[in-house]
Amino acid sequence: MTAAFELTAFATCAFVAVAGALGMTTTMSMFRSGIFLMASFIGVAGLFILLSADLIGLLQVMMYIGGFLVMILFMVLVMHDPGGAMMAGMDLAPLERWSSLGLVPRRPAEAGPDGHRQGEAGDRTAATGHGEGHSGTHPPRPGGEARGDHAEAHDGAAKAMPHEAQGGHGERAAHPHGQAAHGHDHAPGGGHGGMDMGGMDMSMVTPVRPVAAWLALGVGAVLVGMLVLRPAWPVMPDAVPDADSARRVGHLLMEKYMVAFEGAGFLILIGIFGALLLARPSTYPDDASRAAKVAVDAEPEPIRNDRLAPRATLNGVAEPAPDHGAHRRHGGHIG
Amino acid sequence: MTVPLTAYLVVGALLFAIGLYTVVAQRSAVMILMGVEVLLNAIGLNVVAFWRFTAPGDYSAQILAILVVTVGAVEMAIGLALVLLLYRQRRTAEVDAYADLKR
Repeated sequence: MTAAFELTAFATCAFVAVAGALGMTTTMSMFRSGIFLMASFIGVAGLFILLSADLIGLLQVMMYIGGFLVMILFMVLVMHDPGGAMMAGMDLAPLERWSSLGLVPRRPAEAGPDGHRQGEAGDRTAATGHGEGHSGTHPPRPGGEARGDHAEAHDGAAKAMPHEAQGGHGERAAHPHGQAAHGHDHAPGGGHGGMDMGGMDMSMVTPVRPVAAWLALGVGAVLVGMLVLRPAWPVMPDAVPDADSARRVGHLLMEKYMVAFEGAGFLILIGIFGALLLARPSTYPDDASRAAKVAVDAEPEPIRNDRLAPRATLNGVAEPAPDHGAHRRHGGHIG
Repeated sequence: MTVPLTAYLVVGALLFAIGLYTVVAQRSAVMILMGVEVLLNAIGLNVVAFWRFTAPGDYSAQILAILVVTVGAVEMAIGLALVLLLYRQRRTAEVDAYADLKR
């Protein structure tokens, strides 16, 4: 392995690993995040093989990509808005805009207090029944008519935003700008300028994102600085590991570290049981099972102790009695 | 070995920082799990790099890397099962909606 080849391979693999991880965390589409994560895994596997740890490199490819990534992508496809179409086109940092290239933004039909739900009902791509679930978690806030014109202005601003030259703004500089453009106060979720459609914060990141970015930058800078300033590691550059390293690792696993190996196997067994126990279909009726029961083509059960009947007498003065009688007859017919 | 140990460690540090940012800043539970995977990758890279440069005759470091991958697999399976269960109940995968699990 010549020096030039090793340098080239290292540069390629390191770039793929770091750029993949960076793209994973900055793109607006969760599916793209999974694909970027696969690139990062492949880069790290290349680094492992370059470090002559062949077994770990192959294990990385097989387990991380074959196992974890398939699980992750399955979960992502179950989720709401896996393609990031809701979030494309809002104010992004330059890196985020670059890694979200080509995502077509999708707007709800009209931006209003319940424009989000109508837009959701129009395309049932990801999650059925998502609208009511989200309106449960993010209750619509008061001041709806004040929000209407805000939402329209906001929509226009969001449309203009991709064409705006924002390259000069840094990641943090774009943040107050977005808030100033929105101009109305969000609930705690609304710090970073997500598309606030119908009182709902659509952003993919939490409001502490600037803090997190500074924290990550600080930790990375401190680590890299410590590594660069470290005088010397006790390296043994001449010692070459065994070419048959997989055999050596297998012997170690079966002899010296057998207890750890068996313990890991037992942990996997328990983990499989736990995951199956958690993810099995629930015995409690949720929305899906209830809908399935309603969809069965059969006579509905007669309504006993109908609370609606007195209320009907209050509203419509005429004949509550035939309705009640119809229920009785119906029940008798069934019985 | 023309590429020094520090280069590998710098790559590991960058991966660690990115994973940390992902875990803190992302809102979806699946994205947080992806960030944890990146963190585990950084750890594995550091372990293997130290093995190669300081003790290439002793393969215990590779055992440690294998065990890290294994525990990561179990964590992934349990985490995704939890997210699937919570998503089925609450129709959202954002961890802000799970805040009442703290009680």
